[in-house]
Amino acid sequence: MAIHAGAPRRSTLAPGDHAKLDDLRARLADLKDEPGATLEALYAAQDVFSYVPPEAVTMIAEELRLPESEVFGVLTFYTMFHRKPSAKYVLRVCRDLSCHISGAPAVLQAFNEALGTRVGDVTEDGLFETESVSCLGLCDLQPAALVNLEQHGPLDAEKARSLLADLRAREA
Amino acid sequence: MELVVTKNFGNPQSWTLESYRKAGGYQALAKVLNEMTPEDVSDLVKESGLSGRGGAFFPTGLKWQFVRGDPKTPRYVVINGDESEPGTYVNRYSLELDPHLMLEGMLIAAYSCNATLGYVYIRGEYGLAHERTQAAIREAYEAGYLGSNILGKEGFDFEVTFRRGAGAYIVGEETALFNSLEGKRGNPRYKPPFPTNVGVWGLPTAINNVETLSAAPAIVENGAEWFQNLGHGEATGTKMYCLSGRVAKPGVHELPLGTTARELIYDYGGGVLDGRPLKGFKPGGASSAALGPEHLDAALEPRSMGALGTIMGTGGVVVYDDTVCMVDAAYRDALFFEEESCGFCIPCREGAPNLVQICERIMHGQGSLDDLDLLEDLGASMMASFCGLGQFAHQPVRGAVRAFRDEFEAHIRDRHCEAGVCRFATNGRLA
Ligand SMILES: Cc1cc2nc3c(=O)[nH]c(=O)nc-3n(C[C@H](O)[C@H](O)[C@H](O)COP(=O)(O)O)c2cc1C
Ligand code: SF4
Ligand code: FES
Repeated sequence: MAIHAGAPRRSTLAPGDHAKLDDLRARLADLKDEPGATLEALYAAQDVFSYVPPEAVTMIAEELRLPESEVFGVLTFYTMFHRKPSAKYVLRVCRDLSCHISGAPAVLQAFNEALGTRVGDVTEDGLFETESVSCLGLCDLQPAALVNLEQHGPLDAEKARSLLADLRAREA
Repeated sequence: MELVVTKNFGNPQSWTLESYRKAGGYQALAKVLNEMTPEDVSDLVKESGLSGRGGAFFPTGLKWQFVRGDPKTPRYVVINGDESEPGTYVNRYSLELDPHLMLEGMLIAAYSCNATLGYVYIRGEYGLAHERTQAAIREAYEAGYLGSNILGKEGFDFEVTFRRGAGAYIVGEETALFNSLEGKRGNPRYKPPFPTNVGVWGLPTAINNVETLSAAPAIVENGAEWFQNLGHGEATGTKMYCLSGRVAKPGVHELPLGTTARELIYDYGGGVLDGRPLKGFKPGGASSAALGPEHLDAALEPRSMGALGTIMGTGGVVVYDDTVCMVDAAYRDALFFEEESCGFCIPCREGAPNLVQICERIMHGQGSLDDLDLLEDLGASMMASFCGLGQFAHQPVRGAVRAFRDEFEAHIRDRHCEAGVCRFATNGRLA
């Protein structure tokens, strides 16, 4: 039982997503007795929903026997967790020094223009969103980006556009 | 040159146990278990001069001795694979290409520390490293390198848990990493007590960088003197340096610790991109202050970098040419620390955004010469930060002013950016 089982924050779950709460509960069964598994539990929720909805925070708190506030605190600390539905392909473009002086701004701009979005917006088909992120440890691939966890670089505006075309082709 | 930590990178399927064994893998562990006491191991590593490749260069053998000397059990060995310092990607290569080397080093450390439990913590963005490291851990369990009575050694047991981060530079700081392993926010903890006595779950912990542990097997096989002789004087052994920025060939190079920036950039990196003039370089990540071309012949090792008012850091060398504006470069570093400050203490949480604002003013032609003094005062107050992030965050900005003061003054006095990066406002409005 949760130490503090407050009412969930305003729900963000789509109607069809309520059934997925059972999937999450099943996945949390493996993590329940593992000390310190909060990050893995949040990853599990993100796998199930594409983000971590308030209901998942409540459920993780219950299953892992933690204060809900603590789970929420962890969720908000780490940048790879989403608190609203995320795209199927998250394009993380590095903005730090080596990439910046190698042309990263043009890469981010090319993605955003081709998608008609700004950083953090999900395209209407749910496929893409861009993020502007700290050094990815891919500086030899400057300017570099991750598509989810897949490494790409060195990129330029044209390569960014053809990468998008490849990803769209995967979906077709 | 003899290689220590990258020697297997060229082998086919180098990340598999089969390939690692073919290259002589896990023989150092066998030697340690059969011929050495835990004290012998830490003495050997102390004598070799191996020091922490994570950037602090603390003597590794001494760390292991401290952990062994603490009576609390279980003791832990933790691998720090959080590598997030801008310009640094050497651990990624090791994790992707030779995870068994680091695991063998971890087991040697565990034996020396009398530790029975371990974590491998890798930053969340390193997907391929997660796969290969997890596979290596599975293989090591199956082959009896992990588990109970390892290699038939009665009473030598060691269990490893794999963990990944989820995006946070500060978690690379050792005590923040423990909090993350415990499932908490990655805020640092007060030191002392040090991790050797009060580490993860409050127990004695040897936390080491991927590269540090990867050096241990070769030291066991070839001896302390061999390792010493690979370096330059007191800077013993090798270091994985890596190049990025305005360099012709970005890449990883394992070289003697204390190699000069000139050798690294020109002999191994192919010089500056497009043969342009070198404006400066950063010796090791965002936390290090940039140096001008007059320091190209300085040795990239902790002492000589310290004497120049910067740090060796991670060995992630970033090259600047004349297309780079030093105010903009300093601004990028400030933005990084503003973003990555964990917000726990005031000097850093408030100081980092101030660094950003001062750089922005100067880049927009709205700075004053007083701002350069203000940076010094701000830096002094940020030295009161709770952890290394805040204590270092102001160094790159102040260092840039020290080394490239003319450029800062040209922005302020003449609203002129030699590199053509900054766009200045007309009639006082931001461009
Ligand atoms: C802000 C900050 C970030 C750090 N990030 C890392 C890191 O990503 N990897 C690392 O090995 N050490 C990092 N360190 C250093 C660790 O605290 C610690 O000294 C190191 O892991 C010890 O291992 P070593 O002795 O083998 O270097 C960081 C330190 C600070 C202050
Ligand atoms: S110095 Fe910065 S990163 Fe370190 S504890 Fe303070 S706010 Fe957090
Ligand atoms: S600076 Fe972009 S990946 Fe490191």
